[in-house]
Amino acid sequence: MSKVVGIDLGTTNSLVAYVKDGVPVVIRDRSGDGLVPSVVSIGDDGTIFVGREAQRRLLTDAQRTVYSVKRFMGKGREDIQEESSHFPFRVGGEGALRQAQGDPSDESRAGVLTIGLGDKAFTPPEISAFILRELKGRAEAFFAEQGEFDNEVDRAVITVPAYFNDAQRTATRDAGRIAGLEVLRIINEPTAASLAYGLDKRHAGIIAVYDLGGGTFDISILRVEDGVFQVLSTNGDTHLGGDDIDNLLIDRVLADAPSAASGSDPSVVSGFSRTSEQIQEIRKAVIQAKIDLSEHEEAQIVAQGFSPAKMTRAEFESLIAPIVERTLGPCRQALADAGLEPSQIDEVVLVGGSTRIPLVRRKVEDLFGRTPHSELNPDEVVALGAAVQADILITGNREMLLLDVTPLSLGIETMGGVTSKIIMRNSTIPATGSEMFTTAVDNQTAVDIHVLQGERELVADNRSLARFKLRGIPPMPAGLPRVQVQFQIDANGILSVTASELRTEIEQTVEVKPSYGLTDDQVEQMLMDSFENAEADFAARLLIEARNEAENVIHATEKSLRSSDIDAIEKEELAAGERKKIESVLAGLKMVLNSSDRETIQKWTQALNDTTRHLAEVMMNRSVKAALAGKNIDQM
Amino acid sequence: MSSSPKTLQVCRDCGGGAPIDAHFCPQCTKILSLGRHGDYFAFMGLPRQLNLDGAELERRFRTLSRQFHPDFFYNATTAERRASLERSSYLNDAYRTLRDPIARMQYLLQIEGLASSGPAEATKQVPPGLLEEVFALNEELDEIRDLRGRGVPAEEWQGRLERAREPIEAKRREHEAQLQDLAARWDAGGGPEVLKALRDQFLERNYIHNLLEGIAREQNS
Repeated sequence: MSKVVGIDLGTTNSLVAYVKDGVPVVIRDRSGDGLVPSVVSIGDDGTIFVGREAQRRLLTDAQRTVYSVKRFMGKGREDIQEESSHFPFRVGGEGALRQAQGDPSDESRAGVLTIGLGDKAFTPPEISAFILRELKGRAEAFFAEQGEFDNEVDRAVITVPAYFNDAQRTATRDAGRIAGLEVLRIINEPTAASLAYGLDKRHAGIIAVYDLGGGTFDISILRVEDGVFQVLSTNGDTHLGGDDIDNLLIDRVLADAPSAASGSDPSVVSGFSRTSEQIQEIRKAVIQAKIDLSEHEEAQIVAQGFSPAKMTRAEFESLIAPIVERTLGPCRQALADAGLEPSQIDEVVLVGGSTRIPLVRRKVEDLFGRTPHSELNPDEVVALGAAVQADILITGNREMLLLDVTPLSLGIETMGGVTSKIIMRNSTIPATGSEMFTTAVDNQTAVDIHVLQGERELVADNRSLARFKLRGIPPMPAGLPRVQVQFQIDANGILSVTASELRTEIEQTVEVKPSYGLTDDQVEQMLMDSFENAEADFAARLLIEARNEAENVIHATEKSLRSSDIDAIEKEELAAGERKKIESVLAGLKMVLNSSDRETIQKWTQALNDTTRHLAEVMMNRSVKAALAGKNIDQM
Repeated sequence: MSSSPKTLQVCRDCGGGAPIDAHFCPQCTKILSLGRHGDYFAFMGLPRQLNLDGAELERRFRTLSRQFHPDFFYNATTAERRASLERSSYLNDAYRTLRDPIARMQYLLQIEGLASSGPAEATKQVPPGLLEEVFALNEELDEIRDLRGRGVPAEEWQGRLERAREPIEAKRREHEAQLQDLAARWDAGGGPEVLKALRDQFLERNYIHNLLEGIAREQNS
C-alpha cells in the first residue's frame, strides 16, 4: 500500500516523518540531515531548486530565490507591503506581474498574491508545493531504499500554526494538492507537538505549548486526560518569529557598518542600496551569530565583505527583548480564555528553533513559574506529531484523540459594517453555527453575504474570508423568505457553507469567492502545470546529484591532501608533478561546482577521480601495510 | 420498544428505528446521521438540570468524542463520515453551552419554552426593584462624563465610578444568590412557577450584568 507521512511545512525548515512500528521517525537524507530548508530557487533555464541547494543560491542568485514563503500564504497584496523590502524577491499582485510579462491580467485572481522567480510568477501555494514535492520525493526515495514494494507517498498530514486563519489553512491545503498529495488533515503545530510528547509519557494534566518558530508564534493550552488531548485555548501571532530577530540584526549590522556608497542614506540600508547577495551574506552571518549566542556569551558576526563585528549576549538580548515581550501578551490571553492562572499549568513544552534562545526560555519560565520541557528536538517534534496523526487517521487507532479549537471567531457582516459573531474563538472543532437571513425588497431572489474572521467589532478590522451570493430564493414579499445559512468548521479548521430557504425547503446555491485564495479550478490548473514542470524538476534532480557526487570527490581529495604523511608519499611514491596535477584538477572542479551545467560538472568529477586514482591506491596500500604491521606486533 | 414515533429516529443505512438519544443504530451498529435528535442534555446523557457535575460533563464529552470524532471515520463511507461530522459538531456545541452556567441557564429556559434563542437576553425596562439604584447610577455617570469632558484627571473621578459601581455589584450578588436558590428548587423537581420566577430573575440578572459591563467600559476608556 502507498505510504502516509506527516509534514511540518515550516517557515525556515520543513521535515517529513512517518510512523514505524508505532514510533514516529523523521526521514533523513544520507548524511543524516532531516531538515529541508524551505527555500526555492529557479535557475536561468527554469530549473527549480529546493532545500540546501536553493539556500546556497541565496548567496549567488538572491533575486531568483524565495525563502519564508509561509509568511505569504493566504495573504493579500496589501498585507505585505511593509515587509517585502526585507526580501530579495519580488512580491506583487497577479495582475502586475502578468502584465509585466505581456500577459493580460485575469480579473478573478486580482487579489491573489504572487512572487516573481526569474521571469515567472508563482502564487505562495505553488512555491510551497515545490517544497512539499521535495519532501514527498525524499520520503519516496527513503521507502524505495528500505525495499518497500509500493513506495509512493500520496497522502499526508500537514501542520500549520494554530493561529492560522481560514485563508492560510486553505492555502496550505491547496499547496498539498498542487504537490500531488491528498491532504488527510491540516493540524496545528503546537497540538502536533503535544501528541509527539504524549507518546512516552501518558500523564494527565494541563499543558502549555509555546511555539516560536521562524515566522510564527503560537501558544496553546491543552488538557490531557484518558488519551484525549483537548485544546482549551489558543492564541498567537502569525507574523512573529526568528525572521524578525534576523531582520533586527541585519538592520543593526548595516547601520553600524560604514556605508559602501559614500553618503548613502542610512534609511535605505534595509532596502537595496546594497546588492541582494550582500544582504544574504549578512543574513547568513547574523543567523550564525544568533545560534552561537545561545551557547556563548559573545559571538562574531562574520560576513564576507564586511569587517567582523562583535556582539555580546547582553546586547543581543536587549535588542530582541521587545520581540520576546510580544509573545507574552498572547500567552496571558490564552490563559484567560482557558480560565486558568499560570500556576495551574502542569507542564510547559517548547517548540520551534527560536526557543533555543536563553532569553526566550527565561521569559517563559518566569511567566509559568516552571522549567519548560525541551527533551525532544524542538525542530523535529512537530513533524513527529503530524506523523502520529497521519497514523491515527489511517489505522483508526483510538489510543489518542486530538480535539482542537478554532483560533479566531467567525462572523458575518451586518448593517453598518459591524461584525456579528457566529462561532466564537476557542470553540472545539468541528463546530457549526447558523444565521437566518431574509430579503429587503419584494421578489428579491439573491442575498450577498460577507464572511469574516477575527475578534474586532468592525468589518474593516477583521479578515475577509469570502463573499457568498445566495441565489435561487423563491420570489416572495420582502422579509418573508427565511434563508438559513449553516457554517461548518471541519476538523481542519476550514469553513464550508450551506444554505436553505426554510419555507420552501429549497437548497440554495452558494458561490464561494475566497477573498485571498484560489478557486478549485485554479488549483486544478496548477496541478496540471506542475506535471509539465516535472521534466524540468527531473533535470534539477540530476544536477543536484551531480553536484553531490562532485562534493564527495572534492571532500575525499582534500582529506588525502591534508593527511600527515602526504609529503612522504609524494617523495617516495608519486610521479613528478602528480600532486600539482591533482591540485589543479581539484581547483578546476571547485570552479565549475556551482554552475548549472551538469555535464561539465560530471566531466571534471571524472577527471578528478582519474587523477587521484593512483594516490588513492598508494594510500590504501600504506594503510593496509600499517594495519598488517600492527597485527604482527600484536601477535608477537 | 413502546416508544412513540416522536422519540424515534431512523437509521439511514438499514432503515431500522432507533431511540432518539442513541448515537449508533441498534440493528446495524452504524453511526446515525443527525436527523431527529434530543436536546443538549439528552444528547450527552445528562439530566436536564441547572447544576451539573462538572467532572461528569467533561467525562461524557471525552467519551462521546472518542465515539464520534471524524478521525475515527476516515476510512468509512461518505454517509458515516458525514454523520460523524454532524454528531461531533453537535456534541461540541452542546459541551460549549452546558459548560458555561449562564449559557446553560439560557438554553434550559429556551428548551422549556421560556426564552428566545440567541444571546442571553435582558429585560428592556428597568427592573422595579432597581429603579432607585439605576437612577442614582445614571446621574453619577452623567456627572463623571462631564468631568472627563472637561479634562479632569482620572484619579479624581475613578473613585466616584468605583463607588457608583458598588451598589449595583451588591444587587448582582443578591440576584445570583436568588438564582442559585431557584435553580436548586428546579433541580429538585420544581414546577413551572419555579421556572417562571427563575426566568424573571435571570433577565434582571442579565440587565444588571449589562450595567456593570457599561461601567467597566467607562473605567477602561
